[in-house]
Amino acid sequence: MKGIEFLKHVSIGRYVEADSPVHRLTPVAKYLWMMALVLSATVSASAAVVCASAVLPLFFAKLARVRILFLLRGFLPVLPFLGIAAIFQVLFSWPADRSTVLLALGPVTLSAREAVAVALMALRFMAMMSTIGLFTSVTSEGDTARGVEDVFAPLARIGFPARGLALMIAVAFRFIPIVAGEFESVVKAQAARGADFGAGARGPIRKARAYLPLIVPVTIRALERAEALAEAMEARCYGVGPSTRYVDTTGGAADIAARIAAIIYAVGIFAVPVFFAS
Amino acid sequence: MTIVGLNSLSYTYPGSAEPALSAVSFELGEGDYLAIVGANGSGKSTLVRCLNGLLVPPVGAVSIAGADPATPSGRIAARKALSLVFQSPPDQIVASVVEEDVAFGLENLGVARHEMRVRVEGALAAVDLLEERSRSPRFLSSGQQQRLAVAGAIAMRPRVVAFDEATSMIDPMGRKAVLGLMDDLVTSGISVIHVTHDMDEAARARRIAVLSGGRLVFLGSPAELFSSDRLEQLRLARPRSYSAAIALGLQPVIGEDAAALGRRAVVAQTSKVAPRQHAAFIPTNAEPAFSLRSVSMSYLAGTESERLAVDSVSLDVPAGAVVALVGRTGSGKSSLLQLLDGLALPDSGVALSLGVDTADRKTDLRAVRMRAPLAVQRPESAIFEAYSGDEVAFGPRNQGLSGQVLVDRVRAAMDAAGLPFDEFRDRQPRTLSGGMKRRLALASILSLDPDALLLDEPSSALDPASRAEILALIQGYASGGNASADNRRRTVVMSTHSMDEAATADLVAVMKAGALAAFGPPILIFGKGWDESWGLDRPFAYQLDEAMSPSTAAVVPSSVALAADPVLVSAPADARTHR
Repeated sequence: MKGIEFLKHVSIGRYVEADSPVHRLTPVAKYLWMMALVLSATVSASAAVVCASAVLPLFFAKLARVRILFLLRGFLPVLPFLGIAAIFQVLFSWPADRSTVLLALGPVTLSAREAVAVALMALRFMAMMSTIGLFTSVTSEGDTARGVEDVFAPLARIGFPARGLALMIAVAFRFIPIVAGEFESVVKAQAARGADFGAGARGPIRKARAYLPLIVPVTIRALERAEALAEAMEARCYGVGPSTRYVDTTGGAADIAARIAAIIYAVGIFAVPVFFAS
Repeated sequence: MTIVGLNSLSYTYPGSAEPALSAVSFELGEGDYLAIVGANGSGKSTLVRCLNGLLVPPVGAVSIAGADPATPSGRIAARKALSLVFQSPPDQIVASVVEEDVAFGLENLGVARHEMRVRVEGALAAVDLLEERSRSPRFLSSGQQQRLAVAGAIAMRPRVVAFDEATSMIDPMGRKAVLGLMDDLVTSGISVIHVTHDMDEAARARRIAVLSGGRLVFLGSPAELFSSDRLEQLRLARPRSYSAAIALGLQPVIGEDAAALGRRAVVAQTSKVAPRQHAAFIPTNAEPAFSLRSVSMSYLAGTESERLAVDSVSLDVPAGAVVALVGRTGSGKSSLLQLLDGLALPDSGVALSLGVDTADRKTDLRAVRMRAPLAVQRPESAIFEAYSGDEVAFGPRNQGLSGQVLVDRVRAAMDAAGLPFDEFRDRQPRTLSGGMKRRLALASILSLDPDALLLDEPSSALDPASRAEILALIQGYASGGNASADNRRRTVVMSTHSMDEAATADLVAVMKAGALAAFGPPILIFGKGWDESWGLDRPFAYQLDEAMSPSTAAVVPSSVALAADPVLVSAPADARTHR
């Protein structure tokens, strides 16, 4: 559609229901793997580890039958920034860079070390984007919230509000399209009366005034909707006492194995450079 | 046994001088069925919220199955015993999967998982949503969402379920289903409290309580209420069959449907017919006000979540016609109105709004929108100015008007909307009642002096009197009788879930799954062109006509003459209708 359209119709995340070994993992296992992969892609100085953390999500995507191209698309918006970073790498030489010069154009040179640095940076981003993309593709909204509760379950014993945090995330998911819908409705109502947002107004106060017809009603409506949801939750006995959970996310032996594997991987990435230091 | 006991309940909102409820007392027994009616702002929602401690009542004023919601422990007990179903379907859904949402209340009560599974399954089966259990509630119709809310309520095994205008935002089929669920609850021994503006719905209850200005002014059977001569003073109306029976000279029977009333009328050989004013609309040769040619529109075009909202619709809205747009929730009514207004632009096809191609890059969309403005659903939620007069002046100011011309425009619009300028210009919109706010929102569109009006469910969620005022306002605009210099008829396109309202329009357009299923005068649409698959109900008068003339199978109402040159009910394949 052209014209005025907002997020109202967007589903949050890219989760598509499917059955695969990756989909079947419990939210905790998914979170642990996501953290392990993102950590290894960002923190590790080892080229081997970065390569591994870029390839692993693609392997998991294959297992989950998620289209790899679809995941890599999330990488596109980062490209311009990567390009700028790459140019900086090439323009300014590393101090004490004695690696082979691959290309030279006047004073600008590309050394092997610079080439590796640029490639690693690209790989790190790719690894991160595809990992997060894969996580949202195989984890439902409900599991995303429940996973937080499970991950923080050990802390809940000492009073950390894991359940509340999870519910907050779930409600936030619910609320994004609601607020977007309210915003759309108000914009349309004012546009029908000839409101012309921002255009033509000069000076900060007049510009702000032009948005007054939006800010006031959208804020009021968002608060009203929030209150309605809060009432509905309270009416259904939210917060009256110790609660139970409908969805079972305990997981079997395979899931425990996957969790342990994620932890071993995360620990391993710090061990690799130690053993294979060049 | 008393399940709900109110003993002189009064409630004043913090910071407010006037009490919202004053000394309301009544008792509700096991399996009782009580409807609560009253004008917008009469205290109905406040009352319901005092029952389970969402608002804290004075100690001793409320008893729910023996618990006092004024105390913390009593509040929990009251919420277990009394479930609440709210007005807006999407605002009471917490989880992202149907069955998980049903379980939300049980989780909070700490019910064991295996027990939850049993109860969730039972509740979903009771509201006929078992097949949707693992879907996202987002993809349910609003009627289904409301049934989901009922499932969440009954899973908690309450003693009483209160519905707070729970049928006011859903389509006729969804409404029928929810009303059926209320009957089921009563049958199974659960008490029901139903807050509603709809007198047909209220008449289904065993008893009716009427609130006015926070006071209980009537409590008795539907028969007692509707035979009372205080109805108008209370801003209430009579159920449709009740009024029709009086018009036919028959003894009214509570809860009688059109078919039964029709049979009685035939037996009694009454000569009177149901009253209906119905001048057939004869289109002029003038250019249509709105014209769509094979218009399609999708949301999120090009993404995986693409959804076709309008599916190759061709439609000519004749200038000067009042067109009612009907169809189930999600059938594309709102999207179609936005296409007519130029708020949405077609992905394919051509949309002409007052002769202007909205997709043309050279078109000044702002000008088009102000000539044929759209009042979105609940337009009062867009009110932003501190004073009513300024709110109404917002549109004409955007047109560049100022000084005396502007004042005259605002005055004319406010007077036409029944909010006299001299009295209301300095009133703060937030102090107005729900019905007045709606009229203010419409006045702020009338002040544009538009050539056509587009209205998305203009009468929804209003009490009967406010509803009638809004419809009169629209009729007044259409007939050119007020707020306009000349007296030519003006075009109105309005969506509605009330088929009785649609039957008073010149033409009715039926939407089904994004496509235009039919377009023609009401006598054809609700008569021989009627199609059950639209998922709508027929206007009461038409049902009655059919019941009274069973011999004529071709259901054209006897009391209405066919239009000389009727607009034909079109086949979906080619919806071009005008000759």
